[in-house]
Amino acid sequence: MKLKQTLTLLVFVLSLFSSLLLNASNSKVPFGLRHYDIGSAQNFTLNDIDGEKFELNNSKGNWVFLHFWASWCGPCREEMPAIQQLADNMKGEKFQIVMINTAEDEDTVFEFLGSINVDLNSLLDVDGLVTEVWKPRGLPTSFLIDPKGKVKYQAIGGREWGSPIYVNFLKKLLKPDDKL
Amino acid sequence: MLKIITLMLVVTNIQAAQPVIVKTPEMEVDFTPRTANQMGSFYEARGFPKAMRDVLKQQCFITVGIQNTSNEKIWLDMSNWRFTAGGKPIKRKHRDYWKQRWQNMGVPLSKQSTFRWTLIPETLDYLPAEREGGNILLPFSDKPISITATFATGENKQGEKIVITTDKLLCAEDVEEDAE
Repeated sequence: MKLKQTLTLLVFVLSLFSSLLLNASNSKVPFGLRHYDIGSAQNFTLNDIDGEKFELNNSKGNWVFLHFWASWCGPCREEMPAIQQLADNMKGEKFQIVMINTAEDEDTVFEFLGSINVDLNSLLDVDGLVTEVWKPRGLPTSFLIDPKGKVKYQAIGGREWGSPIYVNFLKKLLKPDDKL
Repeated sequence: MLKIITLMLVVTNIQAAQPVIVKTPEMEVDFTPRTANQMGSFYEARGFPKAMRDVLKQQCFITVGIQNTSNEKIWLDMSNWRFTAGGKPIKRKHRDYWKQRWQNMGVPLSKQSTFRWTLIPETLDYLPAEREGGNILLPFSDKPISITATFATGENKQGEKIVITTDKLLCAEDVEEDAE
């Protein structure tokens, strides 16, 4: 009888431990992405390359992938196909990719995006003033903003955003019951 | 009669200003001197005004790449870097200096912003395996440049300090050669 109780307790402890381990591994933030809890995202309004006005606060309710880039920045150029893959993978999700070009003119951005065969739009921070407010620490830099408008994560430098490790992590973010 | 045509050739002085890589068990730092023509071309392609380029061509540009190869956080703080030329201390030109100078010259905000992105950040924390960098601008000197850089380590900067030094750097010069 005592043996049975001990075994039951052991199974319980083991299952609790393995569940904790599983949770820990599921919630692991992928390499290159760091927690960045700085509170509410600074709102801004910018036009995109089609002249459409965009205001960040209107994106509440979605996770926002806010990406700062410039065409003269090598890692930014290399990263573009990965962002396109990410956009393809997250289609239909409550997930919005918002790209901000830093301090280049419309023609430069338009030509560049056209030349690399991606179906991505970008906002134009022509004077770099929004970038000054957000202060990304390098180019490219990406921020992840939660549906309440709070900044949660940051990635400095190019990442393989279309790879399963990032896509799975981001999809998990969209499930509010799963803690990250 | 033999016509002698004098051509002015501008070539990069690659022998005098080689990249220098400094490795420690915790990090890798590379220094690459850039010639005035290299930097001038870069900024010209970005539409920088001539007056701005003329100022920049007189500087000693060193591109610095820093990679954290340890398992601890490493902290960059440019105020902990010391520079000498020919054994005498020289002062790095801070981004605030450039901001003021560009403002005084009436340089467009977009160009100021792009310029800022080419500079190394004043402070930055590097997670394990992260790599970031940027340019350092020093007063031009034909004497050997030495750099001593001190980095804090650990989550709260309480870890053992890392000091890296190099005295093998030279400002890169475009050499004008007469050819007949």
